[in-house]
Amino acid sequence: MASQVHEFYMAMTCEGCANAAKRVLQKQGDAVTDIQTDVGNKKVTVTSRLTSNELLEILKKTGKEVNYIGVKM
Amino acid sequence: SDSQVTQIHVEGMTCQSCVTTIESKIKDMSGVKRITVSLSEKEADIVYDPNVTNPVTLRNEIEDMGFAASLEH
Repeated sequence: MASQVHEFYMAMTCEGCANAAKRVLQKQGDAVTDIQTDVGNKKVTVTSRLTSNELLEILKKTGKEVNYIGVKM
Repeated sequence: SDSQVTQIHVEGMTCQSCVTTIESKIKDMSGVKRITVSLSEKEADIVYDPNVTNPVTLRNEIEDMGFAASLEH
């Protein structure tokens, strides 16, 4: 499956939360090719070949509230 | 039931919300009796039932949340 850019809302309140999101995604190795976090707007943008559901489950491991917004590109 | 204490070093927490997120998720794990996380000490002190769980399982759970957790100090 071609990789897509998925956007998620995530209840991040600080850089530590953003780093936690990055680390759980980075554990997926090359299945995730880019991660952008925006604490101010509580957004996580992920470029990956994984499905949005798989990415949602991965992000939920951080214990934070996460919602799927949609595909950006 | 008997209980033991383990101290887990946790890197990557930068604010109180990271602390409460870890505490709320870990205290729900089976075998965990009490958990106190110190942001300043970068440490999670966990009282657990050794017949049900163990430090490595607890460390892995914190790692899965996206924090760098280690048993050694």
